[in-house]
Parts: sequence; C-alpha cells; structure tokens
Amino acid sequence: MISHPVLPAKVYVLIWLALITLLLLTLGSAYLRLGWVNGAINLAIAVVKAVLVMIFFMHLRSGHYLLRIVAAAGFFWLALLIGLAFTDIGVR
Amino acid sequence: MTEAVITARQFDDAQQQRSASDLGIWVFLASEVLFFGALFAAYAFTRFRYPDAFAAASRLTDVALGSVNTGVLLTSSLTMALGVRAAKLGARRALIGWLAATAALGLVFLAIKGGEYYLDYTQHLVPGLNFQYAGPDSRQVELFFYLYFFTTGVHALHLIVGIGIVCTVAAMAWRGVFSPDYFTPVEVGGLYWHLVDIVWIFLYPLLYLVSRA
Repeated sequence: MISHPVLPAKVYVLIWLALITLLLLTLGSAYLRLGWVNGAINLAIAVVKAVLVMIFFMHLRSGHYLLRIVAAAGFFWLALLIGLAFTDIGVR
Repeated sequence: MTEAVITARQFDDAQQQRSASDLGIWVFLASEVLFFGALFAAYAFTRFRYPDAFAAASRLTDVALGSVNTGVLLTSSLTMALGVRAAKLGARRALIGWLAATAALGLVFLAIKGGEYYLDYTQHLVPGLNFQYAGPDSRQVELFFYLYFFTTGVHALHLIVGIGIVCTVAAMAWRGVFSPDYFTPVEVGGLYWHLVDIVWIFLYPLLYLVSRA
C-alpha cells in the first residue's frame, strides 16, 4: 500500500496457468478411488488456489500488514464457527 | 486527470485516504467470508452426518458444466487483475478492455449456470419445486440440493452485483476519472470480484467432486 509495485503481466498469466492446472488436478484426482483422501486433496487444492488469488491477484503480499491481519481474522472466525459447530457432533 | 487527487477532509493525504479504502474493503470481505462461512459450516455439518447421501447427490450435478464454469471464473480473475494493472499504469483503453472482458466472462458464467439450473429442473432436482429421487436417503439427497441451490444462488447474486460494479467502473474509466494516482474504485471493485471467485473455488469441489470415482 505504501508503494503499489506494478507486477509484470507475465506474473498474472503464470498464476492463471497455475490455477487452471490446479483445477485440472482437482478434477482428475476426483476420479481416482482414494476414499477420504479425495476430499482432503480437493480441499487442499482449493486452499492453494484461494491463497494464490489472495497473494497475487489481491496483492496481499505487497499490501499493508493490517490487510493481512483483517484477512486472517475473517478465516480465524470461520474456523471458530465450523470448529465449535463440530464440537456438537463430538460430544453427542 | 492531471490535477492532484481530491482528498476528503478527514484524511491527511491521498495516501492515507487510499489506505482507508483498502482497509474498508478488506473488512467487508472478511464479513463476506463469514456470510458464506455460515453456509459452508451448514454444508460441512450435513455432509459429515450423511456422507453417503452427499456422495450420491454430488454425482447428480453436472461436473462438465461446473468445471468449465470454474475455468471461466478463474480467467475472469486474470482479466480483472490485468485491468487493475492497466489502471496503475494509466492505460485507459486497456483498462476498459480488461473490464469489459471481465464483465463478459461473468455473463458467460451466469449463462452456463442458468443452463445448468434448467438441466437440474428437467432432472427433477429442485427442492420445493419438483424434487424427485428414487434411491435411498432421498431426504438427505434433497438436503444437499437445498444447499446446492442456496450457495450457488447467493454466489450468482454476488456475481450479478460484481458485474454491475465492473460496468460502473468501466463507465468511470471511459469518462477519464482514473489516473496512476487515483484508481481506488478499480482496485476495490477488483478485490470484490476476486472474493466472489474464491467463494466459487471452494464451492466447486464441495458440490461437484464429492464422489466421482
């Protein structure tokens, strides 16, 4: 935020290529019979894709640290929301 | 715009004003994470309780259309990012072009999604309208489709809003509002667009890829 560096267009295209590759990977892996690992792979790939979008397309890397704190806070509260909901299943 | 950026009274300078906008949109996006988060929590809870029904239900979704749409939305994030880059460089025509491409890809996504909804309708998969499922756990399969229509519907609504924002920003660019010193609406609109993309990045495997093997 202090200085907005302009990334070369090539960087954005490479990130897009990575995102499309990950999309094909997640789709392909879904057709392998891996049991619970299928879901884990899908979720892990989704997280990697989201992080790539946030770091490069949304400029979290070059942004002010406050922005990273706010973004992390959103996901922290989401983890609380889902985590506490699941304690209900755990103690039932 | 060649003159200095107009700064509102409460800010020391244009830099602080832009920082405030950045922080504001990120706080909004964090609240959106929690808005969609409640739906993801509902999904996680239900899928954990009825794994077999969710596996069967997910196989009824159209994985080809869903995958193509994921590619369309990822590509729209690229064009949006290139638009913000063009704004930073002060390249007005390129900015307008990238914004138009982004809005067009958003419309393509909505068209494919609409076609998919129609196919879901013809296959009697719409709860509350014509849901029919002959296999076991039909109530739980129906629950999956409640979540499917609610999450994709709310996502589509966000995308419609996003297309409106992109078109508005494009009109501002057309009027020559932006310069390398001032392009906050482009940046803020872009951040919103990327968030809508991220929501879909998670919806795609959770709805379409539960059990394909």
